Amino acid sequence: MQVEKRDDKPGDNGAKDKKNWLEWAVFGISLTLVLALLGYLVYHVFTDNPSSPDLQVEAVADPSELSPFRYHITIYNRGGTTAEEVLVELALEKDGAAIETADLHLPFAPQESKREAWVSFSKDPSQADTLVSRVVSYKKP
Amino acid sequence: MAGSGNDRPLKQSLKEYARGVAGGLLFSFPMLFTMEVWWAGFIAQPLDLLVLVLVTFLLLLGYNRYAGMHPGVSWRSVMVDSFEELGIGLLLSFGVLLMLNRINFQAMGMDEIMGKIIIEAMAVSIGVSVGTAQLGTHEDEETEEQEDESVNRDTKSAMLVLALCGAIIVGGNVAPTEEVLLLAIEATPTHIFFMALVSLLLCIVVVYFSDFRGTIRRGSGSNNGILYNIVFDTCLSYIIALAGSAFMLWFFGRFDGVNFWTVVSQTVTLGVITSLGASAGRLLIK
Repeated sequence: MQVEKRDDKPGDNGAKDKKNWLEWAVFGISLTLVLALLGYLVYHVFTDNPSSPDLQVEAVADPSELSPFRYHITIYNRGGTTAEEVLVELALEKDGAAIETADLHLPFAPQESKREAWVSFSKDPSQADTLVSRVVSYKKP
Repeated sequence: MAGSGNDRPLKQSLKEYARGVAGGLLFSFPMLFTMEVWWAGFIAQPLDLLVLVLVTFLLLLGYNRYAGMHPGVSWRSVMVDSFEELGIGLLLSFGVLLMLNRINFQAMGMDEIMGKIIIEAMAVSIGVSVGTAQLGTHEDEETEEQEDESVNRDTKSAMLVLALCGAIIVGGNVAPTEEVLLLAIEATPTHIFFMALVSLLLCIVVVYFSDFRGTIRRGSGSNNGILYNIVFDTCLSYIIALAGSAFMLWFFGRFDGVNFWTVVSQTVTLGVITSLGASAGRLLIK
C-alpha cells in the first residue's frame, strides 16, 4: 500500500518524480503540441461542414521529347471530403466533335488538395480547337 | 521545479528518450509504411481522430500506470509521461512522413497533412511508451519489490490494460490493410468458427504455459482455482482481443454500411492476430 500513500502526496519527492530541465522542456513541448492538437480537432468537430468532393481539372500542354502530344493535368479537390477512384476524361475536339479521348484514373483526391498527372494523345492537339476535360466519376471512400 | 541537487542526471533522461524513439519506430514502422494508413489520414473525420487521440491517451495512461517506465508512481507522473509520449510520437510521425515524402505543404491541404500525422503519431506514441519501458535494463530493482503489493491488488485491471495494448500493437499492423476485409468476405461461417476456435486455443496455450507456471509452482490455490483462473483469463484475453479488433476496424472505416455478419466476421478474422497480441503480446510488454 506504499503506492497509495505516494498517491496522496502528488508533490512527493520520490526519485521517480524528479525531472531535470530536459525533461521539463520535452514535457512542455509535448503538452503544447497535444493541447494544440486537441484544440484543432475540437474546433474542426464543431465547425466542420463536410461538403461533397468538388473537382476541378486544369490541363496545360506540356510536350516532351518522347511524348510530343502530352498534357500536364492538375486535379484540385475544392470540396470538404475525399474522392476515391476518380475518373477524368479528356477529349480533343474540333468543331464540337471529339477527335481523340484519353482517360485518367486517380486512386484518391483528398479534400482541399491537388494531384498531378499527365496524359498523352496520339494525334497532334494542334489539329483540334479545344481540349475538353470532364470528371466522369468518383466514389466516396 | 525540483532542486538542482535532486535532479535526475541528464544522461539518464537522454538514454530514456533514445529508447523511446527507438521503440516508437520499431513498433510503428510497419504502419508508417502502409498506404491504407495514409489514406485513413485524409478519409477520417475530425471526430474519429478526436476519439482516436483520446483512446490512445487512455491506453498510454493505463500502460504507464501498470507497466511503463516507472510503474506504480503517482498519477501525476503517469500523466506527464503520457503527454511526453504523445508529443514525441507527434514529432517522430511528422519527421518520418516528411522524410518519406507523404507530406507536401504545397499540394496537400491542412486536413490531409494533419490526419496523416495524427494517425501515425498514435501508433508511434504507443511504441515510444513500450520501447522506453522495455528496451532498457531494469535499473530500479527496489521499485519492483515495493510494488508487489499494488501489482497483486490490481492484477486483473493491469492485465486488462496490458492485453489491450498488446492487441493494439500486434493487430495494428494488420488492421488497416484491405486483406482483413477480403478474408472476412470470402470466409464461410465454418472458416470464421475455426478462426475463433484457433484464437481461443492460442489464448489458452499462452495463458496456461506462460502465465500460470508460476502460480502452480507457488502452489497458491487448489486445482479448481487454477482452472478458474485459466478460463477467466482466456475469456478476458479473447474479449479484449475482439474489442481491440473491433475498435481498429471501426476506425479504419470497415464497419461503414456493412451488415452485422460482415462486422462479426471481420472482427473475428482480425481477432486471430489480436488474441495473440492480447495473450502473448501482453507478456512481452509487461
